[in-house]
Amino acid sequence: MMPLLQARGLHHSYPGGVPALNGLELSIARGRKLAILGANGAGKTTLLLHLNGSLRPSAGEILLEGEPVRYSRAALSAWRRRVGLVLQEADDQLFAASVAEDVSFGPLNLGLSDEDAAQRVAEALEALRISDLADRPTHMLSFGQKKRAAIAGAVAMRPEILLLDEPSAGLDQHSTTHLLAVLNKLAEAGTTLVFTTHDVDLAYGFADNVALFDQGQVLAQGGALEILADEGLLKTARLKPPFLLELGLQARRLGLLAETDALPRSRGDALALLERVS
Amino acid sequence: MSPVDRVAHTNRWRKRSLLEKAALALGMLMLAVALPPFPAAPVVVVVMVAASLLGARLPFRLWLSCALAPAGFLLVGAFSLAFQWDGGGLSMAPGGLHLAAGLAARSMAGVCCLLFLALTTPTSDMLNGLRRIGLPPELAEIALLMYRFLFLLAETAAAMDAAQAARLGHVGMKRRLRSLGLLVANLLPRALDRARRLECGLAARGWNGELRVLSTKVAPSPLALTVIAALEGGVLLLGILS
Repeated sequence: MMPLLQARGLHHSYPGGVPALNGLELSIARGRKLAILGANGAGKTTLLLHLNGSLRPSAGEILLEGEPVRYSRAALSAWRRRVGLVLQEADDQLFAASVAEDVSFGPLNLGLSDEDAAQRVAEALEALRISDLADRPTHMLSFGQKKRAAIAGAVAMRPEILLLDEPSAGLDQHSTTHLLAVLNKLAEAGTTLVFTTHDVDLAYGFADNVALFDQGQVLAQGGALEILADEGLLKTARLKPPFLLELGLQARRLGLLAETDALPRSRGDALALLERVS
Repeated sequence: MSPVDRVAHTNRWRKRSLLEKAALALGMLMLAVALPPFPAAPVVVVVMVAASLLGARLPFRLWLSCALAPAGFLLVGAFSLAFQWDGGGLSMAPGGLHLAAGLAARSMAGVCCLLFLALTTPTSDMLNGLRRIGLPPELAEIALLMYRFLFLLAETAAAMDAAQAARLGHVGMKRRLRSLGLLVANLLPRALDRARRLECGLAARGWNGELRVLSTKVAPSPLALTVIAALEGGVLLLGILS
């Protein structure tokens, strides 16, 4: 099946000469949740900014459904209509006086009528479960609420792909759980999710696919289990295997878990496994 | 965020139409300025204080602290009107006391009117209102963005200030000045950086040079407008007839 969005041989250097992307290859499959996993400073944000045309590669190309994208004004706006982006710092994105006003910005830019835009705003706020914050001024929100408001701003445009830069960074456990539940809902509704993270446990528990990112390149890309079980590969990317995966593999080695049984992927799975073997 | 901003967003009349609030505040302001100060000005003060504290339910302490600063200023100004300097010494000016009292009452009435508007209406509502009556949208957008990023900049500055204090950057006048210089110098690149990222975020949402958002317009209630007109008519009659 043709990847929805694909990066081929991307090169990008920031002024000063340090290459941020160095011949990067990535393909994003429709309807999957892809984690771009890498240590701090690996260039993950730079990659996301390329995937919606905010940055232009010095070499290489990006393909949207097999078609190389162009960087004209019209092409960029058509591209961004399909590929939404949520920045890591919500404050970099929220500009309007109230949450509802801010969320309405994208839909109005799509050329929707006021009524349709209002409808989109209501849906997006509902999807992120922040309808009660609609009239709240953006500077009166907590960190987690700001994050959700920023995501609602992208969701209201109904993108096919939603790019999220470190969605869980700085969120407490409760807010993270809440956010992941919301993102899962979006994924079930058909949105392709791509998110960057340095959290292997999050990638293991949440993503379908993982792209392992280091030194401006994707070292390996594939199913979450397959990539995250490869200890050597993870080590090259300065990462460690997820705890639950280690636990599951150890249980298999010890004969506590049959080879055919599924490995635990959530806290609940792990506790159930313990219960079974005791 | 400042307490003024907070109360502007949370008072009981937050959701009332801007037209009603502006008609009340600016109408009363014009009456206070145009009519002879007695009895119109004290009546305006009473009406506006009642509207602020009983109508919009603004917290009394906040209202008082906002009103005291201009009140002190204008009392000193009015006080000096009551006296004159005649060659050798200071003496009571003829009719000065009346003049001073009139000025004080009139200015206090004005202060109450503007305080009412400032404390019941968020900045963004006022800018939207100004835009509707012809303020160029570019100006309104810039003002709104400034209003929004003022808080972020202040937050950053406060964090940097605390970090400096934690490393003893504020001990002694000389060091304090140096720290302040560093802080200001560092705020600029940070602000520019933030602007660049904002542009990126806006572009991702299809920004085409215009910051258009859906703002909720509240229709003024005819009843409220009638009450306001009646109040102002009453004050006008009182001012003319007495």
